[in-house]
Amino acid sequence: MRSIRNMSESAATSPTDHCDQAETVLEVRDLTTRFKTDQGVVTAVDKVSFELRASETLGIVGESGCGKTVTSKSIMRLLPEKISSIDPQSQIMFQGCNLALAKEKELRRIRGNKIAMIFQEPMTSLNPVFTIGWQIEESLKYHTKLNRKERHNRVLEMLRLVDIPNPEKRIWEYPHQLSGGMRQRVMIAIALCCEPDILIADEPTTALDVTIQSQILKLMEDLKKKLDTAIVLITHDLGVIAQVCDRVLVMYAGQVIEQGSVFDIFHSPRHPYTQALLESIPKSKQGQKVSRLPTIPGIVPSLHNLPAGCRFQDRCRYSEGICLRNNPDLTQDSNNSDIRWRCHFPLKQAH
Amino acid sequence: MWAYIFRKLIYNIPIYLGIILLMMAALRVNDPIWAYLGKYANQERYDAFAHQTGLDQPFVVQYASFLKDVFQLNFSTESWDKPGVEVGAILKRAIVPSLALTVPALVITSVISICIGLLASFYRGSKIDQGLVILAVLGMSISFLVYIIIGQYFGAYWLNQKMETELFAIAGYEPGLLNWPRYCLLPVLISVIVAMGYDTRFYRAVMVEECTRDYITTAQAKGASRKKIMFVHMLKNAMIPIITRIMITLPFLITGSILLEWYFNIPGMGRTLLTAINAKDCPIIQVFTAMFAALLICTNILTDILYAVVDPRVRLS
Amino acid sequence: MKRFLQSRGVRKFRRNKLAMAALSVISIYMGVTMAILGFDLFTLSETSERVGPNTTPGFFQLSSPEKRLQDCEFYIDLVDSAMNRSNPEAAIRESPLAELTIASMPMEEREEKLDETWALYEEIADTENVDERPDLLPEIEKLETMTAALYRQPEGLAGKVYQFRRCLGTDRQGRSIMVRAVYSIKVAILIGLVTSLISVIFGSILGASAAFFGGWVDHIVIWLYSTFSSIPNLVLLTVLVYMFTGSTFDGTLIPVYAAFCMTFWIGPCRLIRGEVLKIRELEYVQAATALGFNRFYILLKHILPNTAHLMFINFSLLFIGAIKSEVILSFLGLGVKKGPSWGIMINQAGQEVINGFFWQIGAATVFMFVLVLCFNILTDALQDAFDPKHV
Repeated sequence: MRSIRNMSESAATSPTDHCDQAETVLEVRDLTTRFKTDQGVVTAVDKVSFELRASETLGIVGESGCGKTVTSKSIMRLLPEKISSIDPQSQIMFQGCNLALAKEKELRRIRGNKIAMIFQEPMTSLNPVFTIGWQIEESLKYHTKLNRKERHNRVLEMLRLVDIPNPEKRIWEYPHQLSGGMRQRVMIAIALCCEPDILIADEPTTALDVTIQSQILKLMEDLKKKLDTAIVLITHDLGVIAQVCDRVLVMYAGQVIEQGSVFDIFHSPRHPYTQALLESIPKSKQGQKVSRLPTIPGIVPSLHNLPAGCRFQDRCRYSEGICLRNNPDLTQDSNNSDIRWRCHFPLKQAH
Repeated sequence: MWAYIFRKLIYNIPIYLGIILLMMAALRVNDPIWAYLGKYANQERYDAFAHQTGLDQPFVVQYASFLKDVFQLNFSTESWDKPGVEVGAILKRAIVPSLALTVPALVITSVISICIGLLASFYRGSKIDQGLVILAVLGMSISFLVYIIIGQYFGAYWLNQKMETELFAIAGYEPGLLNWPRYCLLPVLISVIVAMGYDTRFYRAVMVEECTRDYITTAQAKGASRKKIMFVHMLKNAMIPIITRIMITLPFLITGSILLEWYFNIPGMGRTLLTAINAKDCPIIQVFTAMFAALLICTNILTDILYAVVDPRVRLS
Repeated sequence: MKRFLQSRGVRKFRRNKLAMAALSVISIYMGVTMAILGFDLFTLSETSERVGPNTTPGFFQLSSPEKRLQDCEFYIDLVDSAMNRSNPEAAIRESPLAELTIASMPMEEREEKLDETWALYEEIADTENVDERPDLLPEIEKLETMTAALYRQPEGLAGKVYQFRRCLGTDRQGRSIMVRAVYSIKVAILIGLVTSLISVIFGSILGASAAFFGGWVDHIVIWLYSTFSSIPNLVLLTVLVYMFTGSTFDGTLIPVYAAFCMTFWIGPCRLIRGEVLKIRELEYVQAATALGFNRFYILLKHILPNTAHLMFINFSLLFIGAIKSEVILSFLGLGVKKGPSWGIMINQAGQEVINGFFWQIGAATVFMFVLVLCFNILTDALQDAFDPKHV
């Protein structure tokens, strides 16, 4: 595929882009996001830290309301400033620039160009009154110096890339004429048309049918390989994580509670919550009697009155006195700095 | 698209027939001839007049013949109050002053209030926004009449005394484009000020609603500037409520222009209609209400067509 | 009902301080209406009673010297003409200006005083351009005290009442602006209450049954409201009012009620129809239908109560509409015909404004402004509390 990076104005500003494969492209330190609500200020994301390496897929998993989406929108600074605020101590380092403190103008240069995003609802995320061709072309207008003809060709190329049949015709159609899966493909085309370094996908498959889901995931994986983009994939579906991710971040009530490679998390989870999540995935083994699927008892604590100690205490089967008093810190594995957990009593490792 | 327009036309025909029926029936509840001739007329005079005007025929016949007249645009019936003058001629004379008042008012009001609405939604929650909202509510709470009277006093008397030249005429009308500012600008300005309160509030609400949509976030994520988001993404989506609003305000605009014509002595359709009602001049009332209704029906159809132009989703249904 | 009062919307509404303030102002207006209707606080004849000279300013402000001179002439002339009647004693005892009566004293003394006052008046009136002669001011003041001596100033309660009548000045016929403005509250509230109540009830029933039963009922209702809403509001109102001219109802408020009700039902009908169409598809209604409940029972028990908030909002909106439309109709001479109303006051004030007299238009505007503003605030609060998504 022909790269447009050379033509884009941003080419000169990012000399370090493709030098080192294992390099960190995005580093988030102590990201804290607060919301003003009727009942007071709540901390939706509490000191979340992680790094994203070039061309890897990082999964963020957790129940609804645990702060996954807020984390992703905070990185893009897409939260409404009237009701939300990112703590000034937070650092979102991208190419030497702290996005948490960046000016609107700087952000505009990065959004859609260096970091792109796909949203959960393909039904409402596209503007209903513009053709899909116009909508894909829009970000090219902002971030590249291509002329009209080149942009048109690029849009067609993108539509072909995301496997939309008959792109010459589709380019003139409106979102309501496409199915949900098709719309999500268009969203991916919009996100990837400027060849971003990072793609943030916020539950890209949740609203779709199961068959379409796997198609979309496969498409994202293919494109990642083709375009060499790092992906942050946000989902509540551990199956999706297992399918496409390299590393995983498990979130609970606004905090990261466990972090590690997909293999580690799935084979030897250290946090009881991760363990419980894994147990609640339906497994089908031949010849086995279908038993009742285990669930996690209780509900996620409300952000308005979080418990004093560990936030998982009242749902945890191992909880003891200390869990009620102290919220454990994030602990690092002595051998592998990539593995971290937040628990007083981490589970024993299976060898 | 043509099928859509055709369907809308068909849909509006029974409504128009209903309007004519309703109006004609309302005018005949209280015998129009007695009302016109007064209590002391004798029966002979009454019968002669009824025969002359065709009011002695059955209602269905009257209805049919009036419908025929309306669809042929043939208004050759005579006015009762001004014998010898055809209603059509009166109508022709009254249309231009009315248009001179309403069209500029509609355009100016819409443009200004959409801009203010955008501005308020852009700064929503701030002091400017709160100030505009409060101003709009206060403005809405004052009667139209007060605006007219005070507007006339300050625009025509007070200003003329201060400037010592006659900028705006106190009342009256003369045809011609050059005379327009002198006679019509002040009424138009008053009408704009009155409508502004309602419209600004509405457009602000629409824009605020539009701000919370998902595709706005998408546009932001693409790196669109706030200006682009406001004037391209939001405005095009807001066109539907804006068009609806303009259509809804049209009857109010007509009400306003009737009042303005009455007070500023502008011989438009509203003033003619009111004079006719006071003079119990039945043919004029009938024709003018039919025309007002036709105007409204036409704008209804036009609105539906505009919907289809603006929103690709409408064309299918 | 109890469940409704404890619902989230009602609690949110009651927390809104501005809305509560608006509600209390509205209840003051309602109270005045009740007082006029039930206890004859002011009668219709009082609104057309002369209480002083023409176009005097309110709050006992001083007019121009010229006007003060004219006012004195008015007072003196009133005594003079009473004296010239065949039975002066009786004429004097009849109170000429509400509570203000001519002072009782021996005839000769009064005549003497009257002559003195006339003499002073003539003296001042002979000079030209009184407005530009500040040196005449003490003279005018002296004339005023002499004129006042001819009258017995009302004291106690009567004095307070007289002050109340004069506090916003008088119109071109010397009638009390305050009394007329207060009496107009009754007209406005009555029209607002009657028409918006009938319109909301009628419109809601029509709209709900159209949506609920569908089919030809729906078609007829849609046709009906499309027809009515395709006639410009004021045109329809004028024609409907014309319908009643010369009938037995002419001169009462009934033509206005009828005309308003026939135009105002459209709004609630359309809204409730839309809402019921939505509610009809909800699970609980489907469940009730599946259980075999009577359709009318479902409509009355399960659907209509859930549109109550829309009815309240509409009621409030229509109230504003009724008050404003009444003023416009009265202004055009088609609405209220007997007695005062804000529209009639504004209509009359048109002439006074040209002469720079703003008290009548000001009074009518302020009285109406406060009421309409309160209803606007109330509507906003209701919408905020019960229907936050509405544009």
